[in-house]
Amino acid sequence: MAILQLIINGIALGALYALVTLGFVFVINATGAVNFAQGELVMAGGYAAVVLQPVISAGPLILVAVAVIMFFVGLALALVAYFPLMRRPPATVFISTLLCGIFLQSLFVVVFGPEARAGPPLFSSSLVRFGPIEISQQSAGIVLVAAILILLQFVVFSRTQIGRKLRATTQDREMAQAIGIPALRMIAITFGIGASLAGVAGALLANQYFVWPTGGITLTVLAYMAVVIGGWGNIPGAVIGAMLIALFQVVVASFVSYTAATILLYLMVLWVFIVRPQGLFGEHAPRRA
Amino acid sequence: MTLHASPFRPSVSAFWARAPLSSLCLAAAFIALAAHALLYASLYDLRFLSLVCIYAIMVLGFQFIFGHVGAVSLAQSTFFGLGGYVTGIVGVEFGLDSAILLPLSVLAAVALASVIAVPVLKLEDHYFSLATLGIGLVVQLVAINWETLTGGLNGFSGIPPFRLLGFPIESRLHVFLFVWVCLIVAILISTRILNSLYGCSFNLVRESPHAAASLGIDVGRMRLAAFLLSAAYGGFAGALMAQVLRVVSPENLDLSLMATCLIMTVVGGSTRPLGAIVGALLIVFLRERFRIAQSYSLIAYTSATLAVLVLAPYGIVGSAERLWTRYVRRSARERANPGAEETDIDDLLEPTTTRPPSGEQALLCVRGVVKQFGGVHALEGVDFDVREGEIVGLIGPNGSGKTTLINVISGLYVADTGTIVFAGQATVDLPAHAVSKLGMARTFQHIDLVDDLSVIDNIAIGAFRPENAMLRAALLTLGSDPCLTKARDRAAALAALLGVTEVAGLRCGELPYGTRRRVEVARALAAEPRLLLLDEPAAGLNEIEQADLARRIKRIAEASVTVLVIEHNLLFLGALASRLICLDRGRIIAAGSPEEVRRDRRVIEAYLGEAA
Repeated sequence: MAILQLIINGIALGALYALVTLGFVFVINATGAVNFAQGELVMAGGYAAVVLQPVISAGPLILVAVAVIMFFVGLALALVAYFPLMRRPPATVFISTLLCGIFLQSLFVVVFGPEARAGPPLFSSSLVRFGPIEISQQSAGIVLVAAILILLQFVVFSRTQIGRKLRATTQDREMAQAIGIPALRMIAITFGIGASLAGVAGALLANQYFVWPTGGITLTVLAYMAVVIGGWGNIPGAVIGAMLIALFQVVVASFVSYTAATILLYLMVLWVFIVRPQGLFGEHAPRRA
Repeated sequence: MTLHASPFRPSVSAFWARAPLSSLCLAAAFIALAAHALLYASLYDLRFLSLVCIYAIMVLGFQFIFGHVGAVSLAQSTFFGLGGYVTGIVGVEFGLDSAILLPLSVLAAVALASVIAVPVLKLEDHYFSLATLGIGLVVQLVAINWETLTGGLNGFSGIPPFRLLGFPIESRLHVFLFVWVCLIVAILISTRILNSLYGCSFNLVRESPHAAASLGIDVGRMRLAAFLLSAAYGGFAGALMAQVLRVVSPENLDLSLMATCLIMTVVGGSTRPLGAIVGALLIVFLRERFRIAQSYSLIAYTSATLAVLVLAPYGIVGSAERLWTRYVRRSARERANPGAEETDIDDLLEPTTTRPPSGEQALLCVRGVVKQFGGVHALEGVDFDVREGEIVGLIGPNGSGKTTLINVISGLYVADTGTIVFAGQATVDLPAHAVSKLGMARTFQHIDLVDDLSVIDNIAIGAFRPENAMLRAALLTLGSDPCLTKARDRAAALAALLGVTEVAGLRCGELPYGTRRRVEVARALAAEPRLLLLDEPAAGLNEIEQADLARRIKRIAEASVTVLVIEHNLLFLGALASRLICLDRGRIIAAGSPEEVRRDRRVIEAYLGEAA
């Protein structure tokens, strides 16, 4: 039964990673560029929840507020780090977002201090029992919110007009512009959605896992790895990749030390790189020949 | 091909464009550094300047992989940290001389780089960055957790100071002078490499790996060389740092150090040695200045770096160079190559060289070549020969598979089935650079030139041969690299042949489209190919330019080279080709003399549709 409990914990963590990764992969698909500040956006969401805690009491409302605030942070990121550099090689955006990440880290230190902060509990911390397995309402809530958001993005992208415009922009920006889609606005919205997802993930994990200024970088790397495992630009693949990484971390860390688990994880991903560079589920994002 | 080659005399503009000015600035920077240190500097300043020198070495190394090859490696701090740990651990344990410790640290970093290079270097952009980042994180985790060896999170202190051949170097002034000399050596090595034909070719590897491969440059090996060089510089700088600060800690491996290195490179300029010094000086200065409020300083300099990234994409030094070129050198450019009168092509080619009798043997033999992309059948069994000395035109409507065919022949794509024999050797499985070495060169539909290099240097890169452009040779020769000089002489002759002498000293980015086409043809010819593949050379040229280009290509081909040319323009081909092959939907539908093919019913149908 212990292993089942571990798997459930892994799924809860994986749901969080999946949100972070989704935001990450949307930006990759829309721009072909890696947003290296994604982890810092997660932390920003966590800090936003910390700030909002005294103002808003209801957990779900905090999430909504964080999502809205982070949407605008995402727009700002696009304005600063993407649009001025969009005609340069993708590596340039990589660097500019990396710089924005460091900028945010320093900002966190200045505003919140270097120590870790705990976010508000968004759901009650009581336990739900299923036979021998215990699930905290926290974990259940995280999985639920993540599931709703993943489903929502799926519906938006496949069933709505704005979703179609977003996908058209992803597939071929110039073509989309040629048929009258405001592609640049779509890209800005994508950045906003990506940051919203990251922010919600941050608000969800801030209570259990805390937020601290430099906590984002590992999350960026995890999202990056999830995208590689799932196949560059492959959205369902990215969600599965995030789940796999979380499960790996939780299960392996219960047998060996956390450090050893992390090292093993990196080595595993490197191995995937070598044997299946197209990822486990194939690439979707267009790449130049 | 024998040419009446006159040595390339750089015009005034070319002379001022690159090396000498920046060399002067470099020398001035060095003298200023040393003079300041000797005359004015306080103990604090000396330490500050030592740090600047060390960071500059680290950045110089990073320029190889990031600036010259264009791969965002995130492992530079890993090499730096590793060098530091090796010097620290071995130094504390055995108290060895710096003359042993420094090479040992370099060796350790290079060893790590060569191990990780095997899986990592094949990866493309983002994958490469992530893989190097992952390796860096693993190394850092190991350093933190292997406490008995590394002292864990706190690292360890008590590293002995520099001791060179038995003489201790302890006073801050001496330490500074030592790292200053180290920086000079590092810069000399960098400039030696960059001013060789080998280093020149890095530019094409970065801008267009495909074009590089099609000229016989082994892109993988170039990337490996750049990666190992960056590791060597990183390890060296780390070892110096350990002996200056006398402590090592996991901070030396940290991503924030990596970010600092990246920032210094971007701010200073990622391809100029002077940029390394400027970047290091500026960032270390800002950091020391805001030491008390470290977070504020980070906020300030990340913002500043973003501004540089947006406003001055080539860094401070690169942008200053550009401004200099634009405003100070403008008058010189207007006088560029005053004596460069258009020489007639017939005077340039040896009159005695006669083309080899054509029709004897097939130089290129394509049999049953099939290539599919997913469900798209680009080529469905193509057979044809090109005989020595011919000029063959390959025509066909859009999407008929012409470019795919040339890509397969030149080795950029691997055919699904079928055989290709070139110059008596089966080439279907060979990579592009190996095919090219057998005597094939090509141009591209979308011109792939290095905008930032002069016309002459762009053409000269075509002369890259593994046996004449070697890293070792570049490092060991004094003065200017004889390979580069020879390649430039040849490039000048080819520039004359294609009528681009007038602009030979200008950067390719400044040229109009038609001229760029001709430069690309010249570059392919610099590889001295037996078979020249041209992919739509006349596209976008006006009629006069077309006629001129056709005449030149024809004369060149008569002198020595076999040509396979893709074109839509039958007028252009009529003046040029001796035989036409028409491709439609991946199959050859007609072949023969231009007249025959032009009259062929299937060809007309393919171009104009059934009804015609």
